[in-house]
Amino acid sequence: MTDDAGNDRMADNTNMTHDDDTTTGRRTYRRRKVLAGLGAAGIAGLAGCGSNGENATAEPSSDGGTATETSGSEAVDEAFIEEFRGSGALAQNRDIGGTSIAELPNLSGDLTIYLGGGEGGLYRDLIARFENIYPDFSAQIRASGTADAANTLINEGPATPADVFWSVDAGSLAAVAQRGLTATLPSAVTEPVPLEFHPEDLWVGIAGRARSVPYNTDVLTAEEVPEKVMEFPNADALSGPMGWAPTYGAFQAFVTAMRVLSGEQATREWLNGMQESNVTQYSNEFLVSNAVADGALDAGFANHYYALRVKAARPNAPIDLAFTSDDAGALINAAGAEVMQASQNKQLGFTFIRHLLSAEAQEFFATRTYAYPMVPGVPPVGGLPTIDELNPPSFDLTKLSNLEPTLRLMRETGVL
Amino acid sequence: MSADSSEPNPVGTASDGQFGRLRERLTGDAGREQPDTALVVLAAAVATAVLSPVVWLGWRASRLGIGEAIRLAASDTAVDVLANSLVLVGVVTAASVALGVPLAVVTVQTDLPFRRLWTVLAALPLVVPSYIGAFAYVSAFGPSGVLPDLLTQYGLGFVTPYLPTVYGLGGTALVLTLFTYPYVFLTTRASLLSFDTTQLEAARTLNHSYPRAFRRVILPQIAPGVTAGALLVALYTLSDFGTPAIMRYDVFTRVIYVELNAFGQSRATLLSLQLLAVTAVILALESRVSADTSSGYGSPASASPVVSLGRFRWVVTLLPAGVSLFTLAFPVGILTMWLVRSGPGYSGGGLAFEPAFALNSAYAAALAAGVTVLFALPVALYAGRSNSLLARAVERSTYIGYAMPGVVLGLALVFFASQWLTQAVGVGVARAVYQSLPLLVFAYVVRFLPQAVGATRSSVAGIDRDLVGAARLLGETPSGAFRRVTLPLISPGLLAGAALVFLTTMKELDTTLILHPTGFTTIVTYIWRVQEAGYYGRAALPALVLVAVSGLSMVPLLKGSDDA
Repeated sequence: MTDDAGNDRMADNTNMTHDDDTTTGRRTYRRRKVLAGLGAAGIAGLAGCGSNGENATAEPSSDGGTATETSGSEAVDEAFIEEFRGSGALAQNRDIGGTSIAELPNLSGDLTIYLGGGEGGLYRDLIARFENIYPDFSAQIRASGTADAANTLINEGPATPADVFWSVDAGSLAAVAQRGLTATLPSAVTEPVPLEFHPEDLWVGIAGRARSVPYNTDVLTAEEVPEKVMEFPNADALSGPMGWAPTYGAFQAFVTAMRVLSGEQATREWLNGMQESNVTQYSNEFLVSNAVADGALDAGFANHYYALRVKAARPNAPIDLAFTSDDAGALINAAGAEVMQASQNKQLGFTFIRHLLSAEAQEFFATRTYAYPMVPGVPPVGGLPTIDELNPPSFDLTKLSNLEPTLRLMRETGVL
Repeated sequence: MSADSSEPNPVGTASDGQFGRLRERLTGDAGREQPDTALVVLAAAVATAVLSPVVWLGWRASRLGIGEAIRLAASDTAVDVLANSLVLVGVVTAASVALGVPLAVVTVQTDLPFRRLWTVLAALPLVVPSYIGAFAYVSAFGPSGVLPDLLTQYGLGFVTPYLPTVYGLGGTALVLTLFTYPYVFLTTRASLLSFDTTQLEAARTLNHSYPRAFRRVILPQIAPGVTAGALLVALYTLSDFGTPAIMRYDVFTRVIYVELNAFGQSRATLLSLQLLAVTAVILALESRVSADTSSGYGSPASASPVVSLGRFRWVVTLLPAGVSLFTLAFPVGILTMWLVRSGPGYSGGGLAFEPAFALNSAYAAALAAGVTVLFALPVALYAGRSNSLLARAVERSTYIGYAMPGVVLGLALVFFASQWLTQAVGVGVARAVYQSLPLLVFAYVVRFLPQAVGATRSSVAGIDRDLVGAARLLGETPSGAFRRVTLPLISPGLLAGAALVFLTTMKELDTTLILHPTGFTTIVTYIWRVQEAGYYGRAALPALVLVAVSGLSMVPLLKGSDDA
């Protein structure tokens, strides 16, 4: 972030709608069935735009794409947003709406932030950008695992030095909020976000992450991947090598969701069934996705963005994403944030979260972490289905915090 | 640490004459057998302060209730952790003996080519903090390391899932052995050097072959030295946090850290006490062994080689060369490679190294050095002047830092400051203390006070106390005499102690990680952060800096062993 960017921010940009950009940049999202194939047919998808690098904009907006209407007319200063946007084919030709940082109150003062997770440093990167924009703003960061951070906050109670808790897992946010340790977020903070991602206004979603099934396009098609994750152990199409990462938090959250949705016995049978059908263990889901792209696996279990990271590094890799429907395999978890009740600095905390929900920050999450933006004006990258097009189960994310029975189940079945 | 060659001070034992009695009359109760009350109080206060965390921990545990304590201690996890820890300690100790003893023998008793070079190189792995070693090995052989990268480059990527994992017992034991065997090497070497070679010659004239003579004559005499080194290795292995944490092997320190982060307070507290108990057993063994080692007699030692290796000279050289390859060339090479290779990942300020981190490290270390020396001074003066039970108790209690793993200390201070203070005193006080720099510095003081006391005490012992008496006779006040006579005489010891504490604090991992104020990034917490995120390239430069810092801190130890 340079001084130029800061000056740009100050410039009046309310009348800087780029109509020409808008027409070329607007993208269309086809219905889930096709998009689940994510370019299997070479259109509108990741594989398409990656392999020949020309079709990144997908189709013109002829049939009125569903999720891309910018809310209001304020398009965001392009030069400024470039500072936040990622690079590569997936980040090209994007049309962004939503509230710009320029329209938000300034950040000023010291803010102590507990980070749960943090996308390998990307969250720190974003905070550093804010610090560069606002010379009077300084953030003190303490990072740990999501459950660890939540437990720390619960045990510190009113003695906590934290002002804001920003975590990649909604379960951890809810666990802290349940103890009455967080402040109610004003509507100015939560207003841009769909209601299911700020259920009681004690925390608010910042970016979404969907469970998915990365598969090798040389071996499988999206249609061959069963609609229901419970059918996987017995599916003929999936009799080849599969991969999972049972020590990985997101996978454990998926098993927790299965336990809650389908019951303990069904989950136990599913875990045993998968183990009997040639599943290989990896230490994280990026490696699972990588192995799918290498052809070592036919398919696997991973958060959606890992396949996009593989694609970003190796545009021609034969990998694509399928999504199951209305079950644990289609869970959408949210990264989010909340303000601590004990904070002496709540107003700054609220303003900080509003910055996380600004068009620029949402673009940052969309194009650098390939997460699902929470603000309707910012589309997800690379032909991913929009959140509306996915069919996640109805599930109270708060329940993800009850991890212990999941771990016990995974140990008993020998998965862990 | 460095053993002073000063004679035991004769004053106060034999030469008590007229002068002494006169002085006693003049100075009242400030005679040498009864040091100043103020000094005693100060020294006792220091001892109480450094003992307080362990006392507090015991008190907390005692409130758990016997039933709960037994249930937790007998739980599967706790039993696993104990078993894992003991296995690791056993393997590392045995492997260190297997590596350290032969190295010591070939560098002391044979005509190995370049003996001095290999002696230095064999001791040098001590300067690599073991967590840096673990980092180097994981960044080479781990899932996103150099080896899988190379395999992928040459189209062998499919092999990667079948490679043996670097994580777990194997990797942890390997790394700990490579970087702690020098303890065995150094103590064995010292024993061999003080070994009277005429005995060996006598055995040889009785027609014993060298191996037989070694077994019957040498081994019994160096056994205490080997054991002492092995116990040091065991102690280090037990208390080390970084290596098992990076290599993902569930021993006491790692599980305590995990439980601490999850605020599983009762479990963490009990595991800490178990760890302290195992540590105490090893320490008790060690104090018995080191008491034995002092019984050396015989003709002056000879350092000249006694065994000619003949044409095997160059073959045997492979041993020290091979070890140095894995302990020194490989880690430094890997770190340098990461340094040269442009780091992967995202640009931007999030994970970039900032000079401020180094300044923070130096600032905290300087504070720790200053405060530690201030704490050490009364203890060293008191222990140096009095042989009373209390004086010995005070000195001994400051050695708690050696026995207390950083994880356990961190845990005690975190629970004390965040929860107990909130309940017992109030949120305001808790907020002021918890995650504060003074609390971190206090932890450093507890950990490293023994180093400063050791360095200062030897110079206190070297003071001719008649000089102080003379100053008093010439009309100086007690504090004036201290300032003008005692302080200048002990200042080299104080400075040496401060320097040692400074350097050791710079590379201290566990307490820094647990207690650093939020937002206060040091070199060590930065390395930890980027290695956890897998940005190995970014950790290379700070890691090399720490190796250099650590090297400086080892100078007294290595020099001391050379003198032996």
